[in-house]
Amino acid sequence: MSAIDTQSQANETAMLSVRGLAKSFGGLKAINDVSFDVRPGEVTALIGPNGAGKTTVFNLVTNILARDAGRVVFAGRDLANLSPVEIANLGLVRTFQSARVFPGMTAIENVMVGGHRLGRHSLAGQALWLWRAREEERRTRQRAGEMLELVGLSGFAGMHATELPMGAQKLLEVVRALMAQPKLLCLDEPAAGLNDTETQELANLLRAIRKLGIPVLVVEHNMSLVMNVADRVVVIDSGAIIATGTPAEVQNNNRVIEAYLGKEDHGAS
Amino acid sequence: MLEFVQIAIGGLVVGSMYAAIALGFSLIYRVTGAINLAQGGFALIAALIGYTFGVAWGWPLIVAIPAAVIATVIAGVVLARFTFVPALARLSNANVLMLTAGILTMIEGFSLVVWGSQPYATPPFSGEQPLAFGGITIPTQAFWVFGATALIIAALWFLIAETRLGKGLRACAENPAAASLMGIDVPRMTLFSFGLATLIAAIAGVIVAPSTSLQFDTGRLFTISGFVAAAIGGMASFPGAIIGGLFLGLVTQLSTAYISSLFSSAISLLILLVVLIWRPQGLIAGGVARRQDTRDDVKAAGHAAKLPAHLGWPLAALAVLVAVAIPFAVTDNGIMSSLVIAAILFMALMGLDVLMGYAGQVSLGQAGFMAIGGYTSGYLAINTEIAPALSIFAGIGVSLACALVLSVVTLRLRGLYLALATLAFGLLIDSCAVGFIDITGGPSGLVGIPSFSVAGFTFATPRAMYYLVLALDIVILLGLFGAMRSGFGRALQAIRSDQMAAAALGINTVRYKLAAFLISVTLASLAGSLYAFFFNFLAPEMVGTSRSLELVAMLIIGGESTLVGGLFGALLLTLLPVMSAPLAIYKTFASGALLVASFLHLPQGIYGVLIQLLTRLAGARGEVAAKVNPVSDRVQAS
Ligand SMILES: Nc1ncnc2c1ncn2[C@@H]1O[C@H](COP(=O)(O)OP(=O)(O)OP(=O)(O)O)[C@@H](O)[C@H]1O
Ligand SMILES: [Mg+2]
Repeated sequence: MSAIDTQSQANETAMLSVRGLAKSFGGLKAINDVSFDVRPGEVTALIGPNGAGKTTVFNLVTNILARDAGRVVFAGRDLANLSPVEIANLGLVRTFQSARVFPGMTAIENVMVGGHRLGRHSLAGQALWLWRAREEERRTRQRAGEMLELVGLSGFAGMHATELPMGAQKLLEVVRALMAQPKLLCLDEPAAGLNDTETQELANLLRAIRKLGIPVLVVEHNMSLVMNVADRVVVIDSGAIIATGTPAEVQNNNRVIEAYLGKEDHGAS
Repeated sequence: MLEFVQIAIGGLVVGSMYAAIALGFSLIYRVTGAINLAQGGFALIAALIGYTFGVAWGWPLIVAIPAAVIATVIAGVVLARFTFVPALARLSNANVLMLTAGILTMIEGFSLVVWGSQPYATPPFSGEQPLAFGGITIPTQAFWVFGATALIIAALWFLIAETRLGKGLRACAENPAAASLMGIDVPRMTLFSFGLATLIAAIAGVIVAPSTSLQFDTGRLFTISGFVAAAIGGMASFPGAIIGGLFLGLVTQLSTAYISSLFSSAISLLILLVVLIWRPQGLIAGGVARRQDTRDDVKAAGHAAKLPAHLGWPLAALAVLVAVAIPFAVTDNGIMSSLVIAAILFMALMGLDVLMGYAGQVSLGQAGFMAIGGYTSGYLAINTEIAPALSIFAGIGVSLACALVLSVVTLRLRGLYLALATLAFGLLIDSCAVGFIDITGGPSGLVGIPSFSVAGFTFATPRAMYYLVLALDIVILLGLFGAMRSGFGRALQAIRSDQMAAAALGINTVRYKLAAFLISVTLASLAGSLYAFFFNFLAPEMVGTSRSLELVAMLIIGGESTLVGGLFGALLLTLLPVMSAPLAIYKTFASGALLVASFLHLPQGIYGVLIQLLTRLAGARGEVAAKVNPVSDRVQAS
């Protein structure tokens, strides 16, 4: 019932508006009536204990999994029936929880793949070595180089991506997604496996992205990062939203404290 | 009716054999997640050793048969210990499959060296006199086959369900990582399952040997039938393997009897393709579905060898010069012909590299498109007035049409199933080449194809053909090189290493995979046509499944995702047998062994080794240059 009610109220001003999302795996209700918004120009954090369903929300939003119910509107467009590729090409770009740099490619080539959706990539043009295709290639390479420069990874440009330190790989993935000039960037645990300085760099990068005017939806376990960077926090537990608000509001919410302490004091630090 | 029952019993005999081999497939697949194509090879080896012991050396069968089985199992376990088991830890499952195709080729080559190419027949265990039941005669060997199969099934069931060892095997099948945490030695279990599968195959081989004729390449037939049976029934399910085997046996025997022996394998392959479209996991599914968003193939991609940028163009120019000069140095017509063959195959290899090396799409049926191209243009050139160049385009057109139909199946499949579907396609084309006698000339081949000619000039000599193919190779290489080092190639590589991440960046994976496939098909078809024009003749085995496997071997040996790597593999495998005639008989063995060795020890192939040597040489030189003139070096580097 409530799912239908909230569906009609998809927020027109939000960048991403999720209403009444639901998904079961077999008998397990992994996501149950989840609704939240990502506003333009803001960093929104999606937090919750392990197995709460955060990654599943990402997979449902990007149609990697088919949803049982609910409505997702991105930049005024209903994402129902679009393929993951089409969604990416609308400007909703996501990263994955496990580091997924492309092995077998150098760091700069990885970033260049991110720029793919902006190019024409005419096969004939490339095969015939036409000037236009080579110019496109040159510009992409230059822009990728600038991106790497931005996060201080220029030194790694020519190295195989898999040979980069873990922290650098995580940053590389974010930069690769950024290269696609997203209208909304969704990051799944970008800080997992990073040490304190690397996390600090990531926080700076997120702030820089916000400054560029790109809204971010980030799943994160690292509470200090969330509290430092996020404008709004959405808390999910056992597949349902239990709190939404500013970092300060959420931090003092009893249900949130309970959810975290009740399971394991994972994120409470 | 009687006749039908008679045929059906024959079908069940053959089907039992298929079922046994299919059981071996399922067993290894369940424990390791990989497919072992060498299965049928072990069945053949056991049968041939049984022949040597029992017939050639005259041992009593009761000694000879068990001895042959034991010898085969020992050989299988040793082979697995040094190839299959280490490969599982390093290679993606699709590459393990190709490695086992290499093992199968090795076994074939070994059999060719030891037993030659003549057929063998082994005597039935209990005499030639068949038993008669009211009009139906059943050879006594059939009872041996039924009995042995039933025994194998019962023993396997007991082992898996009732023993501690079986529990370990099941644990590996469900979750290898968890199993190894629980203290189960996963590599040992892998080896054990391999040995067990070899045992099953060996028993099946010796028991069924009297009811069929054996030849060095019969193992491939065993493998393919068992494989098709397992895939129809459901790769992950033992009952599926048994049902698939019996079903396949019945279908092949009945269609041989009532339709045509030429099409019996075509029919079973069509059934397989239909099953792959309709139920890719087979008729009986086993196991659980995987999570979609986790990467399934972390071991997938290694680094390809790359030439240092400043050496690229000078070396390419040098290579072209050498290639142009070769005909002036080589006077031997045989060697010249092999060079032409290598250059033609290189064309197909570049296409295969785009598909396999860049896009990561396994194809074991590439020669099928060579066949379509070759037969189409050959037939047109013989029977119509059409210009040879146009007939090549016609061949490409037909090939592309077939490719589009096939892609309905292949675009939905990945890894193992893709390999399976392409293999099935290649075999289907094989049997069509044999079966459509009016068009293809059947087993004896299509004769009287004219030499290639364009605008009145005929490329009749190997030398003329050499320059034609060389020019085409260079143009194709340049074009592909342009595409592969740009956005197109990067998109393919991204898809190869991680489809889902590629899609999340807006790369249309279906479109790119299809494009890579069509490029490879075009080049294979072109190569097939040139092949036919060059030989003035085309026979099914010239463009059959062994050719497909050879192409894969050449590509891997030469070096994947390099475009030029294939040339080295092609040169090695075509020139060596010609240069030294005594080596020719070892060619099959060598191509299998080299494929296996490259997978395990030279992941970048010959090309990679050459690049490393060059880089080291250039590096040593570069250091000297840097000392002499540091400024210019820095300018170059920036
Ligand atoms: N494709 C799937 N098939 C079956 N179950 C799934 C699938 N995806 C997720 N689940 C289950 O749904 C629940 C939520 O998983 P999800 O990965 O979304 O959690 P998460 O919040 O991202 O956790 P973590 O912090 O560990 O990443 C878990 O119980 C998980 O096992
Ligand atoms: Mg998660």
